[in-house]
Amino acid sequence: MNNTYIKYTCLVLLLLGYLLSACTPENESGLSGQLLFQDQPLASAQLEIYLKADKDRSVQPFAITTTDAEGRYQASLPEGSYFVIGKKRETTDDGRTRMLMAESPANPHQVVDGIASVASFNLREMGREGLPVADDQTGVSGLITYQGEPVSRAFIYIYTENDAGLTGPSYGEAVQADKEGHFTINLPVGRYSLVARKRADGSRSGALAPGDLNATYPGNPVEISSGEILALNDFALTKVDAEQHAQRLADGVFTKTETLLRGQVVDADDLPVSDVYVFAYLDSRMVGKPVHMSVPTGADGDFSLFLSDGGTYYIGARSAFGGPLEPGEWVGTFDGQADHSVTVTRGANDDLGSIIVKEFW
Amino acid sequence: MRFFLLIAIPLFFATPAAALVVDQDTVWDGQHSFSEDVQVLPGATLTVAPGSQLNFTGAGLEVSGRLVAEGAEFSGENWEGLRLKGVDNSTRITDCVIKGAATGIFVQGGAPLLEGLTLSANKVGIEVRGKAAGKVTNCLFTENLKVGLFIKDDSTTSVVDCRFAGNLRYGAYLYHARPQMFQGNLFVNNDTGLMIAYHGTDPEVLDNRFEKNKIAVQVDRAARPVLRGNLLLGNQTGFYIYRRSDPLVTGNRIEENGVGLLVAYSSYPEVESNDFLNNEMALKLEFQSSSWEAQRGADARAGETSARSAFAGQGMRSVSEEDRRAKRLDGMVNAGNNWWGKEGTLELANIGSNGNPSFIHDGRDQTTFTDEGEDYPLDKVAHSPWRKVPATEIKR
Repeated sequence: MNNTYIKYTCLVLLLLGYLLSACTPENESGLSGQLLFQDQPLASAQLEIYLKADKDRSVQPFAITTTDAEGRYQASLPEGSYFVIGKKRETTDDGRTRMLMAESPANPHQVVDGIASVASFNLREMGREGLPVADDQTGVSGLITYQGEPVSRAFIYIYTENDAGLTGPSYGEAVQADKEGHFTINLPVGRYSLVARKRADGSRSGALAPGDLNATYPGNPVEISSGEILALNDFALTKVDAEQHAQRLADGVFTKTETLLRGQVVDADDLPVSDVYVFAYLDSRMVGKPVHMSVPTGADGDFSLFLSDGGTYYIGARSAFGGPLEPGEWVGTFDGQADHSVTVTRGANDDLGSIIVKEFW
Repeated sequence: MRFFLLIAIPLFFATPAAALVVDQDTVWDGQHSFSEDVQVLPGATLTVAPGSQLNFTGAGLEVSGRLVAEGAEFSGENWEGLRLKGVDNSTRITDCVIKGAATGIFVQGGAPLLEGLTLSANKVGIEVRGKAAGKVTNCLFTENLKVGLFIKDDSTTSVVDCRFAGNLRYGAYLYHARPQMFQGNLFVNNDTGLMIAYHGTDPEVLDNRFEKNKIAVQVDRAARPVLRGNLLLGNQTGFYIYRRSDPLVTGNRIEENGVGLLVAYSSYPEVESNDFLNNEMALKLEFQSSSWEAQRGADARAGETSARSAFAGQGMRSVSEEDRRAKRLDGMVNAGNNWWGKEGTLELANIGSNGNPSFIHDGRDQTTFTDEGEDYPLDKVAHSPWRKVPATEIKR
């Protein structure tokens, strides 16, 4: 065995030792803590970790973990700021299903390096869809109408705050009116904003389309007092107008600006892929709502992604937007940089080249 | 443009039309062409008479009211197809041809009745979602580019007596769906006849026939269906049980396939009371190891999820390892009480319970496989006891 061989062997071992030490649990970062219910450890509860506060939440959690028999959890997370929610659906001894839920009072939690500790917190029993349990003598009632006629089976959405614009899934409860358009909703004492919608396909959630019925209650916010079922005035829906709807889309994420990324969406065989949206995120994790999106690609796969300003964006492409990724969708990322980022100056018109997508099955 | 005029008026020439709204009962007859979407509003019924030919260019027909169509043809160029939004079972489409669309018929909720249809050369023949019910019966799905029939999203649509032929990727795909009935269908010459994928997809697939597909039935990603009473004949692979899937495979006749039953990546089906006849290999294990699953299964799946990137993986329904956990990890795949044919039965009589049957490829034939530089023992098949007579009365 010569000296050179020994030197190389030592070097390799040193490098290996360094790499192994970098993988040890001491370098792991994330959050740990304990969930309680009535001050007792809560086993098999779900801990959901979000990147945004409640009012802005519109996507699935960034990470999910489950508590052990002692109610304890640990989640590995990269550096960042996180919002923590505990949940558990369980059946009580008397056969009743109940939902326990609470946000960490100390939200948001910062992860810098190592495992940050989250103070233990108690989950509370919730009502049907996420509000604390109300008594049956307190709430609101009313009648949903369209052009003076009752509307059957519309959904009434209860928002506890309106910072998010009374759209999206941040409502606390959704209740369906009866066949005659009447509804009564028991709520805890408090202030609420109400929205009613009747989609043509009868669904409870999803983007409104032309022809759907929609209204924000004109008396928002409503104040609910203890022991009172507040009778609302006329809650009249209006039809979503096709032209206004199209204009709203055009004025929104598709707005044309002077800063532009363009390119082509292709498959692994370099063939153009149509009907794919290109998205720009400010967050390197590319979760949540994108800040900009393109119109769907045409047969040539070409896209133009208009940006409101210069900066660093993280670029992805997908054949649908909103909702979970499903089999059959095209999905991919801009891979010019390993982190899928591109830095753009204001007013630029930059060619990103190709974004390769593949079908997810 | 609102559309009032065609009430019971037959048209015999192609009539170009712009955007249409059908808001009262209307009958179409003859040939029509459309370059803008047509909407049938709630409360209105659109009746399409037999022999009608409807052609769409870059548009589609959206029905929130009621559609009654019989013996008509819907086709077009770069067209969207029919979109049925929350329609009930008074919407009936029978004996029609729908071809060349992005999605021939898209069903969002509701319970339409789709009978005797031919769905051909669409990207997707029929897509059902939004907890839809209804029935798809006696339909032909052929040469669709991606999927003949795609059922998703907790829908329970019955699929009975349909034929899936020559679809380029999947004849039918069940994703988070449990059809009330999935019975009496024929799958022939598809890339994959029937795909049953993802945790929570647990239908009963009963009395169907799968012939000459590359893969007859693939069960994937923690799905747990019941596969009962089916005939799998002359496929490259009969049942492909893949990625932590634990179906019940019972009462099937599995005959003349390349591989009758292929089990891979930590899947533990219960295989009982089936007839295995004249397959090149009746049962094969591939990358299948309890040891691998115990040591690396959860980590590998977590790695797969993170590698998919937050962007691509966001919103996927989460499946916990608790959901996926195998009932037992003892290095055995249960395949007792099956009939392995006359020759197989003779062979088993000669070699006994601990022998190594030539028609099963498992850890007795290949002791280990290698993953990331480490060897893992390949599981074995528990084939004893075995039946001495056929388990089924299924005919070819």
